[in-house]
Amino acid sequence: MAEKSTPIRILASTEQVPILQRAIDRRRFLSFAAAMGGTAFLAACSSPGGGTSSAPVATGGELEGSLSIYTWGDYDSPDVVSSFTADFGPKVTFDSYGSNEELISKLVAAKGTSGYDIIVPTGAFIPQMIENGIIQKLNKDLLPNIEHMDPAFLGRSWDPENEYSICKAWGTTGFVYDKTVITRELKDWNDFLDAAQNEASGKTSVLDDPAEVTGLYYWANGIDWNTTDEAEIAACEDFIVNTLAPHISAFDSYPGGQAIPQATQVLMQAWNGDARIGILESPDPDRWQWVLGSPATELWMDNWAIPVGAPHPEAAHAFIDWTMVPENQLLQVDYIGYHTGAAGIEDAANEAGLEMLDLVFFTEEQIATMNDGEVNEAQQRNVDIWNKAKAAAGA
Amino acid sequence: MRSLRLPGFALAIPAWAWLVTFFVVPVGAVLYFSFGYKPGIFGTHATDVLSFDRYAEALSPTFFEVFMNTLWVGIAGTLLCLAIGLPVAYWMAVKAPANRRGLLIALVMVPYWTNFLVRTIGWQIILAPEGWMSQLLQTVGITDGPLEILYTRAAVLIGVVYNYLPLMILPLFVAFDRVGPALREASKDLGANRVGTFLRVTFPLARPGIIVGLLLVYIPLMGDYITATVLGGAQGNMVGQLVASQFQAAQNWALGSAMAVLLILVIMVSAAAIGLLLWLVSLPFRARNRVVLEASA
Amino acid sequence: MTTTAPETTMTDAAPGAAEASAARTPDAPVARRARRSPVDTGLTVWSVLVFLFLFAPIIVILVYSFNNGRLLIAWNEFGFEPYRALWEKPAVRDAVAVSLRTGAIAAVLATLLGTLAGIALARKPGKWALWFIGLLLLVSVTPEIVDAVALLPWLVFLGQDAGLSIFNDGTVRLVVGHSLFSTAVVTYIVRARLVGLDAQLEEASADLYARPFTTFRRVTLPLAMPAVLAGLLLSFTLSLDNTVVAAFVQVSGSTPWPVYVLSALRGGLRPEIAAVSTVMLLLTLAALALVAVVLKRAGDSATQIARTMSGG
Repeated sequence: MAEKSTPIRILASTEQVPILQRAIDRRRFLSFAAAMGGTAFLAACSSPGGGTSSAPVATGGELEGSLSIYTWGDYDSPDVVSSFTADFGPKVTFDSYGSNEELISKLVAAKGTSGYDIIVPTGAFIPQMIENGIIQKLNKDLLPNIEHMDPAFLGRSWDPENEYSICKAWGTTGFVYDKTVITRELKDWNDFLDAAQNEASGKTSVLDDPAEVTGLYYWANGIDWNTTDEAEIAACEDFIVNTLAPHISAFDSYPGGQAIPQATQVLMQAWNGDARIGILESPDPDRWQWVLGSPATELWMDNWAIPVGAPHPEAAHAFIDWTMVPENQLLQVDYIGYHTGAAGIEDAANEAGLEMLDLVFFTEEQIATMNDGEVNEAQQRNVDIWNKAKAAAGA
Repeated sequence: MRSLRLPGFALAIPAWAWLVTFFVVPVGAVLYFSFGYKPGIFGTHATDVLSFDRYAEALSPTFFEVFMNTLWVGIAGTLLCLAIGLPVAYWMAVKAPANRRGLLIALVMVPYWTNFLVRTIGWQIILAPEGWMSQLLQTVGITDGPLEILYTRAAVLIGVVYNYLPLMILPLFVAFDRVGPALREASKDLGANRVGTFLRVTFPLARPGIIVGLLLVYIPLMGDYITATVLGGAQGNMVGQLVASQFQAAQNWALGSAMAVLLILVIMVSAAAIGLLLWLVSLPFRARNRVVLEASA
Repeated sequence: MTTTAPETTMTDAAPGAAEASAARTPDAPVARRARRSPVDTGLTVWSVLVFLFLFAPIIVILVYSFNNGRLLIAWNEFGFEPYRALWEKPAVRDAVAVSLRTGAIAAVLATLLGTLAGIALARKPGKWALWFIGLLLLVSVTPEIVDAVALLPWLVFLGQDAGLSIFNDGTVRLVVGHSLFSTAVVTYIVRARLVGLDAQLEEASADLYARPFTTFRRVTLPLAMPAVLAGLLLSFTLSLDNTVVAAFVQVSGSTPWPVYVLSALRGGLRPEIAAVSTVMLLLTLAALALVAVVLKRAGDSATQIARTMSGG
């Protein structure tokens, strides 16, 4: 925007000099005037109050007319959403992300202007989201249906009093393979990695999420996936970027959406609920085999939370409360294929005769092999490894 | 009478001010960020210490390959567009019935006026291994297994060629149309054969159109990453994707900015190189061209 | 019919004259058929194939918009279910409305800015023009993703830190993001059109003591009008298609259609996306036909319309 103040040299005949001089002066003046005018215009647009402080807080008042939810892909039953709109009024819009990093980047960059009312971060990320002022306290008076939740899934380490978050669903990670292409039986992560480098090379997808991409290596090799040991991280980087990445054909957090029904890949790392949706949607379900990750895998729990700056907090509370009504919990389980943390949900699901419940509910022994994730000093390295793996896979 | 005499550029001031406010300033900020670094897990950028380190990082072997990959897709895609589009444009401008040309132009544009994501998804449906195209090819016996194009380089090329072909055909059509039949007739009357006429008359005169077409395709193609990712999966990893994921996921604005600046530089330098190359190639044609023109005038 | 073709790159009179004669005497079809050669047949076959290629995915989308399944790409059965979503899913309708609204505002804004700048470039060239064209070139070669990552922090800064709360508004952000490239495009198109036309008419108007504004309104603007309309249409479509910048700067609640589609790619596309696209295609075709009629009224032939559109 700055005009150079150095003298402008122009070759001109003598009689033209005064004319040019005037033109140049005028030009300088005008560009300055334009800049000033622009500022005045911008200033005129600003409202007196401006800034984040004006964001409303939920007090139990009247619900706003709309509600915007930023969540994981295909993560709420359309029936629950449409009955909410029918009974309470607010129109609901959804937007989706594929990793917690993506969610946080969006919220950090927008500094409270993202326009979202509800977000669904994974537990491990919540302490730092609180610390960095990304999410706000819930008004628990507006969430009476919390009584239907199983206490086992409340008061977790990241938010002991559930001041900021409430369990939305929890699940784990495994993989799905095409039995018509991979004819041997795959049983654990080592089989996954082996198949990816052999018969499934170039037809393998992994989750588009740093924790699970690096987790593949740690789980297979019996290393704590929350490790901060630089030697272990470096070994992980070397394996993922140099050995595995060239065989990967896609980074896809939701293979159940298209890859399984369309059979575009033969081996896919997947979250259990998404794998279930994909197999149910497939024209040939018997072709696919789900394998729970072992010897170790993750246990993630996603939580309802309200971001700072949410324009419709009343509707946000009403919606979260609505999803905790027992009938709606069952609809959610049926649709998304994840345990929602409600009390007695497993029995209710069995009673209702929902399909493929072995991908939704797990035995005590299985749960014992699942570990919570942590967001620690290794976070940045994990993200780097993930980015490098993507670059290496495309090369 | 004329109380206010405005300088010549007065009418351009609004556009200038708009572009400075919403283009020069923010892109300048990106340039500035690119010399900074990422200060911690939740920090996006810091610029208290400035260095070229992020550029070194962006050009490290892993990411450098993505730059090469992008250039490859960009150049291959643009040349394919030219190879596919040139005969069509020539046919439309020279061979097709004159009264149908308006309709043909409209037809070329129709895909261009449909949302590019939706068009790309259309290709996903066509190329899917379980899709009807795959089944058709298997039934007819052209292939004996399911179609395995989706998530390969070939799919990336199909996607980008498809999405940018209209931008090539249109300027080429205009260029060929501008040459007009009279010059070609003159060339024939003077004893040139069809190939000679095309090479010495039609093609040199259409050169500006070719350059416009190449740039119209090449520049947006280099920056596009969505087409490539939708059809190519991991194989469609373009620099645009790297930039996006630094901002959208890694929260490393400094590195993302350095990659963005490098992307602009690569585009500018390679586009200038294309222009220069074409100009050099056309030099020998130009001298002969003048003779033909004089003969026809 | 008068030839108003802008001949910017031609210095010879010959091609222009040749073209004028071509426009007046369309080729005789009989003579054409007699001269058919294998090369011609090859060209025709190739062109037909390319047109099929261009339409293949669009036809597929059209057909799949009648897919009564849960997933767009998995054909289930024929039905009109997807079209009902247009009425029943407010999110879909809102996204389309946001796109149309921001597209219209961005197009008008870009056309206004670009037309004025294009006129200035064509009629008052000078040393400033070099700098200005340089800026326009820079805008045009900058990939969308760079605009996107640059604009988001800047708009957030203006809206939150500088207290200009207008920039927290979703529509304003989208309009800003969509207007940049379009402004450059309209400027090129308008400039190209006017450079091709002699300034004599405007000089004559001035000689007849018309005020500058009158000359502008009565002479310059009508001369530039086909380019202005083409630019308007082009910016509108560019805006409708804009995904990358929109995905970054959008505020939830004013999510435009392409961003909705992009987001839906994640969780499995529903057939209603094809249905909406089909409806939008039909609407765009209608708009295109309208513009073509207007341009024809203004005396342009089909090829000139194409020429104007492609900026030459």
